[in-house]
Order: sequence, then structure tokens, then C-alpha cells
Amino acid sequence: MAKKIQLKIVTPEKLILQELVDSVTLPTTEGEITVLPDHIPLLATVASGDIVALKDGEHVPMAVVGGFVEVKKDKDETTVVVLADFAEHISDITEAEIAKAKKRADELQLQAKNNQVIDFEHFESELERSLTRVKIADKWKTRKYRK
Amino acid sequence: MPSTKEIKSRIKSVKSTKKITKAMELVAASKMKRATSQTLASRLYSSFSWDLLTSLSEKLETAENKFFKKNATPKSLIVLITSNRGLCGGYNAQAIKKVITALKVKDNSCDVITVGKKGDSAMRRIGQNVVATFTEMSDNLKLRDILPLSTHLLAEFSLAKYSEVYVVYTDFVSALTQVPKIRKILPVSREEIKEVIELGEAESNKKPAHCLVEGEVDTLLDTLIVKLVQMQIYQMILESNASEQSARMMAMKNATEAAEEMIEDLTLVFNKARQAGITREISEISAGMASVS
Repeated sequence: MAKKIQLKIVTPEKLILQELVDSVTLPTTEGEITVLPDHIPLLATVASGDIVALKDGEHVPMAVVGGFVEVKKDKDETTVVVLADFAEHISDITEAEIAKAKKRADELQLQAKNNQVIDFEHFESELERSLTRVKIADKWKTRKYRK
Repeated sequence: MPSTKEIKSRIKSVKSTKKITKAMELVAASKMKRATSQTLASRLYSSFSWDLLTSLSEKLETAENKFFKKNATPKSLIVLITSNRGLCGGYNAQAIKKVITALKVKDNSCDVITVGKKGDSAMRRIGQNVVATFTEMSDNLKLRDILPLSTHLLAEFSLAKYSEVYVVYTDFVSALTQVPKIRKILPVSREEIKEVIELGEAESNKKPAHCLVEGEVDTLLDTLIVKLVQMQIYQMILESNASEQSARMMAMKNATEAAEEMIEDLTLVFNKARQAGITREISEISAGMASVS
């Protein structure tokens, strides 16, 4: 049997995903990387975008915003831990939610233009989240993936 | 002795109070359950971020980061976490007392940030300098709800306005015991973080493995520290939340029991008064009869 990677995606609120996969592709601030089994230990900052795990020839895409990735190797086991501010499976982002996120992003950008924003930090993370969700949902609309 | 009517109305009012306290007890119990499960859920993230810090630790010794060093200003900042509402026993009072002792030790060279209305009004009453107040912390707390607070703290600290930043919160030990605690969150120290996350010994003694770091160590460290501070505050507020709810549950439980006792006593008095009335009436009737015959 081919070696597998233990992939864990964790947000402060809960454990989003825990699965054995063949490979993981993630966006880091330095560029996109793909982790295969037996990868050496690695630390990196994750950029907003999509984490794509490959399992039995199928793609498992997740939208993430901000965080870190740690690749750990313990004897024969490779573990990839993603600490994200926010993570969601693509299929959880429904059409209705995309529309809502789009609207929200537009609204927020408009607010920024009119300088109505008092609560800047809150706003910044909201905007990034909305934009990422829209972008990633659009990207995976036409592609095939595992639900 | 009060009339039976008076006693009856008193029993009625105590009964309705008992209903209210009972309902509040149940509400607090279910809220507490949610708060504790949230605390547990966030613990996973905390332990993983602790792992990350451990992996980085061999790089830490050489790294110069502004968040690791004490600023050279006399002032420090205290964040006080309390509830928005009362009726929760000694929960708020204990936290406030803790702050007041801390302020005395610091010779009052402190500014205060309050979370929750109760702590805010107490701090203003004693004339403390309150620089910011956050009262909009919902029961269903998300990490982004504390972003304004954590960013504010980090910004003030990096501007060297304060030498140290402390947080006073209530640690949730069990449903029966909650302990108010004071912790330093800035400058970052590994011991303090370890205690907040409450790691087991076995996990925390993990040896740092040699590890490849992508990108600049400093930038990674910067973001990690920001996340750690956020996470700590998040966890402290969650703990306080759980403590508040369990304190309220206990207070309401006591109130319900006291109401029950009071109803019992009042019923006894009521029965006595009623019996006295009956006896009096009978003696009056028999006296009347005697005078007629």
C-alpha cells in the first residue's frame, strides 16, 4: 500500500477535517507547494486560497483564510497540520452563500471607499474571507471534486 | 399575626420568583454546556499552535522580536474580563477584587481595558483610567469577535506605550469552582502560554525537531505571535464565559432552594393562621349559643 499523509485542518472553533490522503497542495505566502508522503518537517505561512487534497484520484478542495501549516514526520507517518482562521469545504459553500458573500464583499468595499469603517480589523478579515470564498467557489464551479 | 390573605399573597409572589430563578438556572446550565464545549474545541487549535512554537523554539533563541521584550515604560495595561449581566453570585466581584489588588501592587500606574459592563462600571466607580471598553461579546463567541481587542493590545504594546499587558479572567475549573486569575500575555513568555493552554506534561515535553522554515523566520514568528495572543484572549474569554454561566447556575440554584424553604415556612404560618381563625369562629359561635340558651 502506498504511503499516506494524515491531513488535519483546525480552526479555533473546531476541527474541520481529519483524513488520510495521498497528497496535499497548499498556497503559502511564498508560492504554492505540494506535500507528498515522507516530506521533511516544514513550517510555512498559509495564504488565503484553496487547499487541495488528493485522495484515491479525487480532489478534496477546502477554502482557507490565513494561518500556518506544519509538516511533521514521525518515523513512517507524515502529518500535515493546517492552522487556519477559517476553513470550509467547497461543497459547503452553496450558491446562495456565494451570492451572499459577493454582496457582502461589495458592500464592504463600498464602505471602505466611503470611509465609513470604524471597526477596521474586523472589517479587514471579513473582507478577505468573503473575497476568498467567492474566488475559490468560482474556481471550483466547473471542476470535478469529491463532495 | 398577619392575616391569611396577606400570607397567601406572599406565598404566591415567592412561588413566581422561584419559577423565574428555576428558569434562569436551566438557561445558565445549557449555556454553560455550550461554553465548555467551545473551550474544549479551541484547545485543539491551541495545542497545535503550541507544537508550532516548539518546532520554532530552536530558532527563537537567536530571533530578536519586539514582543519578547519588556518595554521600558513605567505604565502597564490590565484587561479585565467580566460579564454584562449580574445575578451570577460572586463571579464579577471576585474578578474586580483581583484587579484592585493588582492595581495596588502596581502603585496605580496602570491603564485598564474592560470587557463586560459590570467590570467597566466598577472601574469607573473607583476612578481608574479606562482606555477602552468592549461590551459586545456574544455568548456564541467567534475568534473574529475578539480581533478588535487583540489588535489593539498588540498595537499599543508595539508602540511601547506599556511595559506589560495583563489579563484578569476567571478560570473555569469545574461547575462548582471558578478561580479568578491574572496573567501576563505581553511580552510573550513560554511558561505563561503553556499554562493557559493547559497542556499535559507528556505533550509539552516534546523535543523540538529540526525543521525547515519557508520564508523569513521573523515574519513567521510575528504572525505566530499575533495568532497566539489572539488565541489566548479567545480562550480566556471562553473560560470566563463558562465560569459566568456556571456561577449564575449555582446562584440561581441557591435562590430556588431558598424560595422553596421560604414557601414551606410561609405555608406553616398560613396554616396556623387559618386554624386560629377557625378556632376563634367556633368559640364565638359556641359563646353565642351559650348566651341564647
